[in-house]
Amino acid sequence: MSWSAELAEALGRENVITDPARLRTYECDGLTGYRVQPAMVVLPRSAEQVAAAVRVCAGHGVPFVARGAGTGLSGGALPVADGIVISLQRLRRVVEVDPVNLRAVVEPGVTNLDISKAAAPYGLYYAPDPSSQQVCTIGGNVAENSGGAHCLKYGFTVNHVLAAEVVLADGTVTTLGGDSAQVPGYDLLGAFIGSEGTLGIVTKVTVRLLAKPAAVRTMVADFATVAGAGDAVTGIIAAGIVPAAVEMLDNLAIQAVAASTESVYTPDTVAALVVELDGPPDDVAEQFDEVQEICRQHGSTKIMLARDADHRALIWKGRKAAFAAVGRISPNYFVQDGVVPRGRLAEVLGRIAAMADDAGVRVANVFHAGDGNLHPLVLYSEAEGQHDRAERLSTQIAELCVELGGSLSGEHGIGADKACSMPRMFGEDDLATMLRLRTAFDPDGLCNPGKVFPTPRLCGERPGPYRPHPLEEAGVIERL
Amino acid sequence: MSTVTTYRPAALAELRDALVDSARAGERLAIAGGGSAAAWGGAPRYDAVLDTTAMSGLIAYNPTDMTVAVQAGMPFAALQETLAGNGQWVALDPARAGTVGGLVATADAGPVRHAFGTSRDCVIGVTVVLADGTVARSGGHVIKNVAGYDLAKVFHGSLGTLGVLAEVVLRLHPRPAATATLAVPCDAAAAFDLGGRLVHGSLEPVAVEWCDGTLLARFDGTAGGVEDRGRRAMALAGAGAEWLPGDDHRAGARWSAVADLVRGADGDTVVRLGAAPDRAPSLAALVDREARAHAVDAALTSSPFAGAHTVRLRGATAAAHAAVVIALRTEFPATTVCRWADGLHDELPAWGEPPPAVAVLRAVKRAFDPDDRLGSGRFAPWF
Repeated sequence: MSWSAELAEALGRENVITDPARLRTYECDGLTGYRVQPAMVVLPRSAEQVAAAVRVCAGHGVPFVARGAGTGLSGGALPVADGIVISLQRLRRVVEVDPVNLRAVVEPGVTNLDISKAAAPYGLYYAPDPSSQQVCTIGGNVAENSGGAHCLKYGFTVNHVLAAEVVLADGTVTTLGGDSAQVPGYDLLGAFIGSEGTLGIVTKVTVRLLAKPAAVRTMVADFATVAGAGDAVTGIIAAGIVPAAVEMLDNLAIQAVAASTESVYTPDTVAALVVELDGPPDDVAEQFDEVQEICRQHGSTKIMLARDADHRALIWKGRKAAFAAVGRISPNYFVQDGVVPRGRLAEVLGRIAAMADDAGVRVANVFHAGDGNLHPLVLYSEAEGQHDRAERLSTQIAELCVELGGSLSGEHGIGADKACSMPRMFGEDDLATMLRLRTAFDPDGLCNPGKVFPTPRLCGERPGPYRPHPLEEAGVIERL
Repeated sequence: MSTVTTYRPAALAELRDALVDSARAGERLAIAGGGSAAAWGGAPRYDAVLDTTAMSGLIAYNPTDMTVAVQAGMPFAALQETLAGNGQWVALDPARAGTVGGLVATADAGPVRHAFGTSRDCVIGVTVVLADGTVARSGGHVIKNVAGYDLAKVFHGSLGTLGVLAEVVLRLHPRPAATATLAVPCDAAAAFDLGGRLVHGSLEPVAVEWCDGTLLARFDGTAGGVEDRGRRAMALAGAGAEWLPGDDHRAGARWSAVADLVRGADGDTVVRLGAAPDRAPSLAALVDREARAHAVDAALTSSPFAGAHTVRLRGATAAAHAAVVIALRTEFPATTVCRWADGLHDELPAWGEPPPAVAVLRAVKRAFDPDDRLGSGRFAPWF
């Protein structure tokens, strides 16, 4: 029997897609410039069906790509032409919320925000909060080790997952992690999280839940220079304060926000910092005063304090809408995700500005300043033939971050997008050693091939221009 | 009498050469740091020792970035001392006085694991040398980084069986302006209940530990914040509770008792185990019951919400210790024997029931050290 017939038999015809028109829905993720139509899409209804599908693939040497909501920004869920996509969208049960043990067990298709919603009646929440949290799934978060605006204080997915049931590349099902972090042996769970779907498919996740902080305070501080804002971030950290979030928007980003939504930001400020503190009320109050003082010392021209929860929500709405909003001031854009050591923020922003001038395109900056995770938006016009130099600039920015002692990616992943830049950050032996781990999990390389690691085929090809993701056009997700 | 070769490299290149040389000689190596965890798990078979303690230098420390890169043989306590000068620390408080590399290889941690986790949550980059001399790096010097696989994670808990940690980059936290400890004499069930109320009440303790009849909760923060939380914690705790501000001798002595129990002494057996938070009371009951049944002096310290527990057995025979460990393993399979009473190895396999993913553990071991030269037998009988 052909593998496609076997899959249809194993999962039921109603759970298999081969119609080209329907397959097109799956041809890209949030990195829409890369598109590949898979041979088939399967929609399993249970972990057993995921394992059955993988067993068929393993038996026939068919590559497979797991997919959650498809909101990833690095092409991590980009299909393989002669392979299948395994969608986890139908595995969306919250299996258990266990407030006593401060954890929840969920299936991979559950959205990030739905975990917090399920935990809310107990005063608990799930901390990592990628901006696409309304749509993105926990399975995808595990694959990408997703962060979010609040990971400066709370860490990433890897710090909040206790166990995962996974289907390995040969179709066996196992559990990584356990009841606590005290599992003897190599931390396979930690290695699996952030492996971008190349080590297996997660079918159940046990996440840690945290008690909601008693107090939250948020401010927006304007600055006359980007360097001043960067220095203020350094000053806050040097004072021993760990804010829940520190975000920066430059003027171009603020203009974009003002063009698209009800903006609370000062239209003509050069830069603005959003600083949020949370925790016990007295601690927060004391440090909130200190942060304001530090901002003033570094030349803040205006400080606006969030009056209440609604006002805070407006500040965050503007911040999170910045990405989509950029579409109002530029027909096309690329986004980068590089990281620099925090102390080099002002320097890297200066160099990016100079590089943008040289390239003759504009770059808007809206990013996680607290952990040095940049999100430069390279604005360009496809119609005016700016694509190539914008793309070149975008890659140069990511590689500049590496040159300054940072990383190609803080949270979007390497995927298909940045695989060709990996040799800038890692040597041959580094990548070869990572491949040993890959081989231990997936000796035949069937599990999401073509991602993370550079290949001649991949790196010889050139992607198309950025096109907005359908969910993004609908305003459902943002790009940060 | 046979002599054992000792390699004691002081630099990465020397370490690589040592591994290449020993590979050529076909030697099995035992990797040794401070030696405080040398007995964990099975006893490795080796022809030579690779001693990392000469690789003890500070590579890069930029307080502004709150990251530090060190050679893996640096004593963890020396690192903390250096960082304290800048009001910073690695948010780990292990009981054992080992090296930074040892901390990663053992996955050890102390009471602040409640808030900060273990070394897996603090390590942001590593350089490792594999059995064949391959030098590999992963992660980097920035806190937020998803580029490539995180090799630090597979080395976490590897007990010297995958390769040698050469360099480690860690994220740092600010030292708090104020700290205080709540101490409440109570049984394990009451401790779990009160600990739960502290956690759910958003009082944000950085450590919640129940040690041999006393609940200890540490609170870090601003001076006013800690004082305020102290008032609320004392109200929750009720009569008999003590509030011990600062790091002084009274609070310090309480936390030292935890560390003493975890370290154990010659002749003791020390077992580390993991369990879901709500099993802490039943674990305490099991320890009591088994200790009585086998006439062993047993003590327990627990970080219930981190699910980490240490049992110390003292007195009686190796056979009695073995009986208690077997009872613990039966109920709590995620168990590591960290200290072995004399003769206990003869009574007990080094490990109990393997974790479900043992096949993957074996495959990773084969991929990194195909000839089983490093820490051979450490994870026996699993592999």
